[in-house]
Amino acid sequence: MVDALTRSMRASHLLLAILVAASLVVAAIGAALGDIFYLRLATEALIFGGLAISVDILLGYTGLLSLGQALYFGLGAYLSALVLMVVPSFWAAIAATTLASAVAGLIGGFIVNRVRGVYFALITFGMAQVAAKIVYNTRALGASDGLIGVPVIDINLGVTSISSGSPVGFFLFVLALIVVMYALAAYLLDTPFGRLLIALRANEARIPFLGYRTMTPRLAAYVVAAVIAGVSGALYPMLRGFVSPELMYFETSGNAVITVVTGGTGTLVGALYGSALLTLLKSVIGSFTPHHLIVIGILFMGAVIFLPKGIMGSIRPAIERMLARGEKP
Amino acid sequence: MIAPILEIRDLSINFGGLRAVDQVSFSVERNCITTVIGPNGAGKSTLFNLISGALRPRNGQVLIEGVDCTGQPPYRMQAAGLARSFQITNLFDELTVAENLRLAAQILEPTTKIWRPVRGSTIAQARVDELLERFSLTDKARHSVAELSHGEQRRLEVAVALACKPKVLLLDEPTQGMSQGDTQDTAELIKSLVHDVTIVLIEHDIGLVMSLSDHVIVMHQGQKLAEGPPSEVRANPAVQTAYFGHA
Repeated sequence: MVDALTRSMRASHLLLAILVAASLVVAAIGAALGDIFYLRLATEALIFGGLAISVDILLGYTGLLSLGQALYFGLGAYLSALVLMVVPSFWAAIAATTLASAVAGLIGGFIVNRVRGVYFALITFGMAQVAAKIVYNTRALGASDGLIGVPVIDINLGVTSISSGSPVGFFLFVLALIVVMYALAAYLLDTPFGRLLIALRANEARIPFLGYRTMTPRLAAYVVAAVIAGVSGALYPMLRGFVSPELMYFETSGNAVITVVTGGTGTLVGALYGSALLTLLKSVIGSFTPHHLIVIGILFMGAVIFLPKGIMGSIRPAIERMLARGEKP
Repeated sequence: MIAPILEIRDLSINFGGLRAVDQVSFSVERNCITTVIGPNGAGKSTLFNLISGALRPRNGQVLIEGVDCTGQPPYRMQAAGLARSFQITNLFDELTVAENLRLAAQILEPTTKIWRPVRGSTIAQARVDELLERFSLTDKARHSVAELSHGEQRRLEVAVALACKPKVLLLDEPTQGMSQGDTQDTAELIKSLVHDVTIVLIEHDIGLVMSLSDHVIVMHQGQKLAEGPPSEVRANPAVQTAYFGHA
């Protein structure tokens, strides 16, 4: 028998499959038309979607609002840029960022998990701002200019290799990587450990009486989220060839939260849909007016008021019912 | 001599100037129902909070099967074999009844299973099915807690506490706010549990206390006023003065 939470997760998988299919169509059309701009934009949407997944693990499942997830995204981006400028190896960059964001997440997690609720949000925000200011003022990291001139790399996949400069190739590669991270997160969230996170969100006070410490799962969730944010960030300089302190600013963290809320908190897949939507809107509206953030802000307010569960949060229950009918009674 | 399953020695805590629990000692016999009674504010729930690790006592000791667990956090108390329910229903409201029980039962699985998909948690699932049956909640398994009636929520509260197969179960007013019929059913249910678990109960319904308990402890203003078999306690003049306001 499949329980309700496993079924919800399966509904998310189905929505992910639709997103992947749509992405493949986009890739095919883009390749046929020789497009660069929109494929690059779609790749960026996936990368920020990875950041949004990390926010959703914390917000949607564990009930922790992080307003500083850009800290790990930026860490991954800067470290990846630095590694690539010395050793142009994708795997070296990913290994370094995975390790570094896990360690940073562990340290950061010990600091922020001492507090709850609004204080948690404020401390995550503060830590990210401090890190951003340090980067902004460090000449070795390019200060306010950031790091430019990250080389185009060939990603060695054993049988073949993909150039980070190839719009279609890199888009598909990033798609695969984001799907892997989604799958990892989805797997974890459907284990007793993941259910403990969901229980933490629902009623943290009862957890110790079930025989569990609350610190351990909170910290573990925070570290997993940090790694996913860090690895997503590591892809950014490969796509754009540069990193800048803006990647660590509140705008990046805040956008990730808006993405999750719009896409559907606690659905995991909503993070990716939300990112696709917001990235597209920013680009399209941005081409008409420099004040595109006003429009995005109004749309966000509308989404919160009229679709409080977000887009995927509103669609998913119908798919869950469909799956339930398909199961043997 | 075998150590009592639960022993409390000189347990005390102050809230500001108030001695909420004052030098309380007693021990609990295996597979019995021990009931703590007393007027509002006597310190009954505070006593439970001290025993279950929700509060740290200022002094005194809590021993579970002779092992000193004083001041340990709740998850250690649980590991030592003690579980509790709450006076105010304290569940995972947005989750289903089955998931509430599964969460409470997942500690029965080997620790490595915590990283395996939930549908592989067969031990926990078997426990969930058993409890759903025993607490007559099978029909409600897929409902969220928020959809249950008050009586059903109170039953689930007990079932969740019981899910981890504790040795000692502290039940804080399990029948609180229940209808007469529900109260009677719950009393029968609690009575049937005592084969597997030792129960310590806080209860206000005096009729229920007398019929259900093997042993009664009376608290008054933080102190233990009397203890003994129900009939003896009822006849105690000091208890009558404190509890009923007349001798």
